[in-house]
Amino acid sequence: MMTGNPSSEFILSVRKVNKSFPGVKALDDVSLQIRRGVVHGIVGENGAGKSTLMKILSGVYTKDSGSIEFDGKAVETTTPMESLRMGLSIIYQEFSLVNSMTVGENIFLGRFKEAGGMKGTHQKAKELLERIGSSISTRALVSELSTSEKQMVEIAKALSFQSKLIIMDEPSSSLTEEELASLGEIIRQLRGQGISIIYISHKLDEIFEYCDYVTIMRDGHVIDTRPAGELNRRDMVSMMVGRTIENEYPERPHCVGGPLMEVKHLNTRKLTDISFTLNKGEILGFVGLVGAGRTEIVRAIYGADKAKQKEIWIDGESVAITCPQDGKKHGMAFVPEDRKQQGLVLPFSVEANISMADLPKVKTGSFLSRGKERQMAQRQMEELLIKTPSAKTPVVELSGGNQQKCIIGRWLETNPRILILDEPTRGIDVGAKYEIYMLMKKTVEAGGSIILISSELPEVLNMSNRVLTIADGRITGEFDPEKTSAQEIMNMAIG
Amino acid sequence: MNTKIRAKAFLQENLVLVIIVVLAAATALMEPKFLTMANLGNLLNQFGPLSFVALGMTIAIIGGYIDLSVAGIVSLSAVFTISMIDVLGQTGALLAGLLAGALMGLLNALVVVSCGALTQAKALFMTYALSAVYSAAALLYTDGATQHMSHLNSSVTLLRGIGSGRLGFIPVSFLLFFALMAGLHFFLNRTQTGREIQLTGANITATDMAGIPVKRRVAIVYILSGVLSAFGAIVLFSRTTTASPLMGANYETNAILAVVVGGTSLSGGRGSVIRTMLGVMLVTLLSNCLNLLGVSTYIQSVCKGIILIIAIWIDRRRTK
Repeated sequence: MMTGNPSSEFILSVRKVNKSFPGVKALDDVSLQIRRGVVHGIVGENGAGKSTLMKILSGVYTKDSGSIEFDGKAVETTTPMESLRMGLSIIYQEFSLVNSMTVGENIFLGRFKEAGGMKGTHQKAKELLERIGSSISTRALVSELSTSEKQMVEIAKALSFQSKLIIMDEPSSSLTEEELASLGEIIRQLRGQGISIIYISHKLDEIFEYCDYVTIMRDGHVIDTRPAGELNRRDMVSMMVGRTIENEYPERPHCVGGPLMEVKHLNTRKLTDISFTLNKGEILGFVGLVGAGRTEIVRAIYGADKAKQKEIWIDGESVAITCPQDGKKHGMAFVPEDRKQQGLVLPFSVEANISMADLPKVKTGSFLSRGKERQMAQRQMEELLIKTPSAKTPVVELSGGNQQKCIIGRWLETNPRILILDEPTRGIDVGAKYEIYMLMKKTVEAGGSIILISSELPEVLNMSNRVLTIADGRITGEFDPEKTSAQEIMNMAIG
Repeated sequence: MNTKIRAKAFLQENLVLVIIVVLAAATALMEPKFLTMANLGNLLNQFGPLSFVALGMTIAIIGGYIDLSVAGIVSLSAVFTISMIDVLGQTGALLAGLLAGALMGLLNALVVVSCGALTQAKALFMTYALSAVYSAAALLYTDGATQHMSHLNSSVTLLRGIGSGRLGFIPVSFLLFFALMAGLHFFLNRTQTGREIQLTGANITATDMAGIPVKRRVAIVYILSGVLSAFGAIVLFSRTTTASPLMGANYETNAILAVVVGGTSLSGGRGSVIRTMLGVMLVTLLSNCLNLLGVSTYIQSVCKGIILIIAIWIDRRRTK
């Protein structure tokens, strides 16, 4: 135990907290207690209320009713800065670091005086980083850091506030296996120092690996809190979705035909001599570390990035693809990794986001027809089970999974022959994931082909017919996932 | 409570309209002449050149960019067109002037796109630089001298009609503006290209990834802004019968003022030309009103600046 009121074994007690937004009850009588020095996982589908609860704790939102006690003291209203000073830090998925400043400056941002000037800032920052076993230079610019290094800076920043509770929101979503292992190490260290951690993740493996306790939330309620050892994966998933999910993955489709697309000698600044074939009705998985060049390959094929050299043959004919329009013209569809920046036009309606790749289809004569556009949107909303109040709702108001379905629906309307999916299930809950897998299966069964990129190895291995490993801009291996072990594939991907 | 929310939403959506009505009512109370047909006609007449430039600016801002070169385009196309009247006749000069505007718009687009400017901020500086180029070209072309529409023998001519003709009490220039506005509104909302311009404005990366030719959409945006600015210039010199190589000065600020006050979002993708009409109306009405109250033009500039800041502030709050 570090400091605080030792009379309570709980660092945080949330009792009967309610929060409503217009039309939604986001939190309904939520109670939650976090012990000192434990890792406490919170799981739940998107929209279960996890984020709302965290935002109330950190002072972004105010609760409607209920009580919160932190470190033995009742907390009524708070601001993000106050809660930091109290000893409660949140590390969000999107980091809140200033890219153009150094690591040390970021850790003590706005507190240089307390830290003892620039000299003290860098020295103290170094000590904090060493405490979590990191050797990042405190004078490096944040913009030069990798995702996991940025995360370490965030953790060091949290420690600099003497945090007693650190909330990590989807900390692993863009980490490689290796980085994840070092995050696990840090989490264990922090726990050893008596710091409590709330670990929010969609990845159940991590929950089981790191967490001592797990709270399951659904539709604004706390369903249950239990020691992690008492739960199994299946029970946890069924509590999260409120029904039993038999399998996480549908049966692997087997409808691979002859060659559809051949990529030969693709060279860019990052890629070296990439050549491979995609067959009809095939799901081809790309496995590699973040930054290995997986996204670069598909972007170059689609025409989004320039290539020094590239040959693409579709149906035995050479095609020239220099921009995304060309890619689309030759039957490609691209669901990008960064949904919000590259996929969606956020302020626009669901229907405008669905129709945008095939506007000629919703025209009557030369003009756009509202009726046809609405029909197209309704069709995809029904087909893909998109949950939205209406086709007119701005897509920004939808949950991550439903947003992703809008992008997929947009491309299905173009009847693509080659569907490129880059991290299609990132940050999406279990139920919606399964629906996206079903959709992939349906697409290949209807004769399309899919290139699947994912950092979740089980996903690639369970869905693909064939897997290419990519390391350092090269293809390092080709595997049949039904006959090869995950370990073997991962070895090739690490390069 | 529900009606309260609805009233608040209505006020948020139609703030400009409400202010216009209040301002008009207040002016009418102070000055009964305000409501006469003749005065309303005059008011519409004051829509004039700025309204065309503001239409172009609306398209540029909806397209996610901005066009600060309109000041230069107005100056250069005015002196160029007026000098062409003797050579090509009025119709020929009019067309040549519009073509010049289109070419300047195209040049803007080429510079902006080829430099890879994907943000409004970058386009802002580039078009500002180009504005200086066009203004300097206007000065070089005229040696700095004001040009006159010298050879207008007949009293009813095309240009004079555009500049100061009236149908009943309604100025021809306002009718032209209204027709163009309606056409552009339809273009933006009911054609594929128009929709694609809006999508580009809201998120150029995502629109590009959806296989929409964003560079060509940006080119259309700047060409339209160039042509409409040239048209504004023609209305302007037809009214005064002179064209100075500096006459476009401040048009960019006033056009942006009208667009933003109207409620088109500076962040791109959202807005409408109809809102811009309301914005122009508010700006003209306000200067009318301030003139009526005998407020000095310096103070009027201060007022305009304050209104622009408030409008941007409201826009930011809305986007959040």
